[in-house]
Amino acid sequence: MFKKVLIANRGEIALRIIRACREMGIETVVVHSTADASSMAVRLADESVCIGPPSGKDSYLNIPSILTAAALTGANAIHPGYGFLSENAQFARMVEEHGFTFIGPSADLIERMGDKVSAKQTVQELGLPVVPGSEGAVENAQSGLQTSIDMGFPVLIKAASGGGGKGMQVVRKAEDFVEAYNTARSEARSNFGDDTVYIEKYLEKPRHIEIQVFGDTHGNGIHLGERDCSIQRRHQKLVEEGPSPILSEEERDHIGRLAANTVRDLGYVGAGTIEFLYENGKFYFMEMNTRIQVEHPVTEMITGIDLIAEQLRVAAGEPLTIRKDRLRFRGHAIEIRINAEDPDTFVPSPGKITQFHAPGGLGVRFDSAVYSGYSIPPYYDSMIGKLIVHGRNRDECVKRLLRAIRETVIEGVKTTLPLHEWILKQPEFISGDYTIHWLENMLEEKASEEQ
Amino acid sequence: MKIDSDAIRELADLLNETGLTEVEVADGDKVIRVSKGTTVIAGGGVSGASMPSDPAVPQQASLDAPANVASSHPGAVKSPMVGTAYLQPEPDAPSFIKKGDTINAGDTLLIIEAMKVMNPIKAQTSGTVTQILIENGEPVEFGDVLLVIE
Repeated sequence: MFKKVLIANRGEIALRIIRACREMGIETVVVHSTADASSMAVRLADESVCIGPPSGKDSYLNIPSILTAAALTGANAIHPGYGFLSENAQFARMVEEHGFTFIGPSADLIERMGDKVSAKQTVQELGLPVVPGSEGAVENAQSGLQTSIDMGFPVLIKAASGGGGKGMQVVRKAEDFVEAYNTARSEARSNFGDDTVYIEKYLEKPRHIEIQVFGDTHGNGIHLGERDCSIQRRHQKLVEEGPSPILSEEERDHIGRLAANTVRDLGYVGAGTIEFLYENGKFYFMEMNTRIQVEHPVTEMITGIDLIAEQLRVAAGEPLTIRKDRLRFRGHAIEIRINAEDPDTFVPSPGKITQFHAPGGLGVRFDSAVYSGYSIPPYYDSMIGKLIVHGRNRDECVKRLLRAIRETVIEGVKTTLPLHEWILKQPEFISGDYTIHWLENMLEEKASEEQ
Repeated sequence: MKIDSDAIRELADLLNETGLTEVEVADGDKVIRVSKGTTVIAGGGVSGASMPSDPAVPQQASLDAPANVASSHPGAVKSPMVGTAYLQPEPDAPSFIKKGDTINAGDTLLIIEAMKVMNPIKAQTSGTVTQILIENGEPVEFGDVLLVIE
């Protein structure tokens, strides 16, 4: 096992990793920008190294500084968290070249899964169901139009190097295709520096259901069930739950087994998430994230497994401690992401948290790095923390979460807590009958009602 | 109780000059403690710190921090990067600068090495080197005060 791990991240995930390391007796070093000098992660880590000014580019994305800090402190491994450099193949490669262990899969796999076109081709060959679409990139409008006619409208034109929902064009009729195609290509060029596009069938009412997977260096690959992340706004997840309220045992088993096989066939080591769109009983591969995800606590709460600790173990060459035959899903868990934003306009609200009191009690978990008197810096994401609640069943879980939201005190900045409370009370959420467009539609309705 | 505001003000100035974060002075049974960033108090009493003062919170270690000079000191030369500071161009060569030297803008003051690349750190202004706060071969963080030029 590693003696010392360097955490190349900030905020709540840095704290999360420090916690896992502490429990395993691993020394921790956290790198940070000047803006994070009084963050909880810096205060709690065994060592800290200031590596740059506030801008992400000069600090958390600054590969030479991070590697230097690792060398100076004698770290054995580097955990990249999520975001920042966690899916940067170049970083993963350099970490290993400099003699540290990168806590994550190989640079090659990061690269292969990072390119959406190659990822889709790769998993398709391994037997995962994919959204029907063009075979690879679409070189010109004419061939794209023909492919669309063959598949049937509506279709979605996507950037191969894209992500975060950017540069996507929905086309409902053949006569709109050429213009949309040209727009998609130029937007792709300006947003990602690569105008390669591909086409997929557009699903009207899908859910976002993702499978947590794990692989080790001993050829083992498993799945740890799903998380339903359909409650989104502009492709950002707000609420995640597990198990999904609409999947059956058989469906879970079926897609889980396919996901686990993929991990084994790829020789994938570490934590990963395979994201699917689900519509009318069918799964369609969307993308694979080759890192730990923000919403990992949902899976931890229903399986009882510490996923970060498992990441550290498999990175150190140990076999997975999770045995497929002993994996049990217990109860239900829901996570809400609390952001420092206006709950109606979503305008960011950084600033000083004057009063803070975290909720508690049975089945309540608050993953956050804030404290009373802490100032949320304006340079990074607006996340205050994640509130994750577990219950014996979904109903108990929702009631408990509403109770926990009521006792949460965060003053000094605006938060999205009122929005979360509203979401949890909506009939469609309670019945579990929502899709990835549901929240945005509801917010539009709510806004026009108020006018 | 009579509050000795002059003494408190003097202690607060002392904090700013020296870059210390806390100063406590006792005179018989009268105690004054002044800390940076929390309320000024006299006598005993708990300061309004937001961090629990529980001993389980470990001592924060950063890379052997150089002796404290406030980074707001006008003559402070701060490290622009993380790495290892070298005061000499090569192991047996004379140091770039000594305490008391007069230097000009553009002169090389020291080298910071990171990932086997030597980065010369040059003076932004002219002046006299009044303090050298690091030792040869010492690891430094971004923002550490390396020396003072006045």
